[in-house]
Amino acid sequence: MTTPGLVEHFFRHEYGRLVATLSRRVGVQHLEDVEDAVQSALMTALETWTRAGLPDNPGAWLFRVAFNHLLGDLRRQTGRRRILERNVADFAAPEVKTDGVLAGEIRDDLLRMLFVCCDEAIPEESQLVLALKTLCGFSIGEIALRLFTTEANVYKRFGRARSRLQEASFRPGELNDEQYASRRGTVHRILYLIFTEGYLSSHAEFAIRRELCDDAIRLATLLAEHPVGATPETSALLALMHLHVARMAARQSCAGGLLLLEEQDRGVWDQQRIQVGLEWLAKSADGDRFSRYHAEAGIAAEHCLASSFATTRWDRIVESYALLERMAPSALHRMNRAVAVAEWQGPVAGLAVLEGFEPPTWLTGSYLWSAVLADLHRRCGYAESARRHREAALKLAPTTVVKELLQRRLQIELPG
Amino acid sequence: MPQQKYLCIQRSQPGGSPEKPSPAQMEAMYVKFNVWKDKFAKNIVDLGGRLGGGGVATAETTTDGPFVESKEIVGGFMIIQANSLAQAMAVARECPGVVMPGSSVEVREIHTG
Repeated sequence: MTTPGLVEHFFRHEYGRLVATLSRRVGVQHLEDVEDAVQSALMTALETWTRAGLPDNPGAWLFRVAFNHLLGDLRRQTGRRRILERNVADFAAPEVKTDGVLAGEIRDDLLRMLFVCCDEAIPEESQLVLALKTLCGFSIGEIALRLFTTEANVYKRFGRARSRLQEASFRPGELNDEQYASRRGTVHRILYLIFTEGYLSSHAEFAIRRELCDDAIRLATLLAEHPVGATPETSALLALMHLHVARMAARQSCAGGLLLLEEQDRGVWDQQRIQVGLEWLAKSADGDRFSRYHAEAGIAAEHCLASSFATTRWDRIVESYALLERMAPSALHRMNRAVAVAEWQGPVAGLAVLEGFEPPTWLTGSYLWSAVLADLHRRCGYAESARRHREAALKLAPTTVVKELLQRRLQIELPG
Repeated sequence: MPQQKYLCIQRSQPGGSPEKPSPAQMEAMYVKFNVWKDKFAKNIVDLGGRLGGGGVATAETTTDGPFVESKEIVGGFMIIQANSLAQAMAVARECPGVVMPGSSVEVREIHTG
């Protein structure tokens, strides 16, 4: 589906840009008014452009309409007149700027908004929703679909973030260097979450998952190109994103099913993407910081560089998982290390990694845990326990696509 | 070349308006509308527009709307040309965003001579 005269996702990306720019001008406490104005400007555009054709500069057109709408709204709210007077300079008609200056400002505004979303006083799950809503331009319903939760839940999370921004006396333009520095880690975390929501999601529609990954990369690239975000960790984050996305299409079978790593046609991997990922990885080595993103990018790079499943350097992957476990302790990393050890030294060694390990309920309640156990037990020849774990995995499989993959992988050869 | 012109009047149920479309949905609507516009370029005379508030001038006095005690709201209009009413209806029916749950389009022949 192409959008005549406009780049793909123009409406969604313009939404993010306009919300960021207008929030800077009037203060993020007016986020609700800002979002209303942007929504209404896009609707006006939809009606006008379909009838009269595209204006010369659609972005400038949208800004003017949204700005005037917002100005009208704020003027009508007499209680807020004071704010208008105080910020009178900001309300002057936007001056004409050259494209270069404008592009720089858009980038600054988007980044500023990203750091605003990562306010320490906002819970992480609300930060994520706030970023998806304001920067990526997803509706509450679309976010619920992507996060596998209810609209009511998303709305609650969003409301929590918005009320925090309303009570805040600061304006996003006033974030100081210290705040930029202290929030950078959270910004990484949120971008990582947006990415993994797309990459790891068992959502049936490939396009929907890919869209989240691309948005995370878009924002992370802005971050890497700006002094406030150009750190080795940002480079590592971008490396892992590109190295994962390069292999994303190969995970899909023609029939829309999921393919195991060993089943994938490595010829479908996007070599140009891998190259971009490796360049970011090289950049990330600049400095003495080694973050969890470095470890994860390292693992992804090993997979990308292996010419076949059999020639994968599992020892290095095991090493990276061990590092990851130390830096960001998580039961998931322990499990992944067990899988990698099984490939490297055999299934018995893999199971040994999990000996005495008591996984948290969020992991035992996921099909992944049962699937890994079923696979390791199967390969060790423990038919009975393998069957038990297999049944549990199939019962917990969130989609038919995942179920099919499990059925294929966990087939138990009957002895004799 | 079709000669007969038709006035299309879009109506919707008050309060029945669906949630505001998301940016992604708006983009999909934009694309679909352009596809429709290309497909029926020969039939489209005037894409018209949305109708705002107004008043009714009668011989006696001028009153503000609503003009009829109708459950429906006239939302917009356009003019198309076609060989028959049936064809005109088909063009209008395919127009994205016009015929949806809670909204309909009325197609009337325009007699000019």
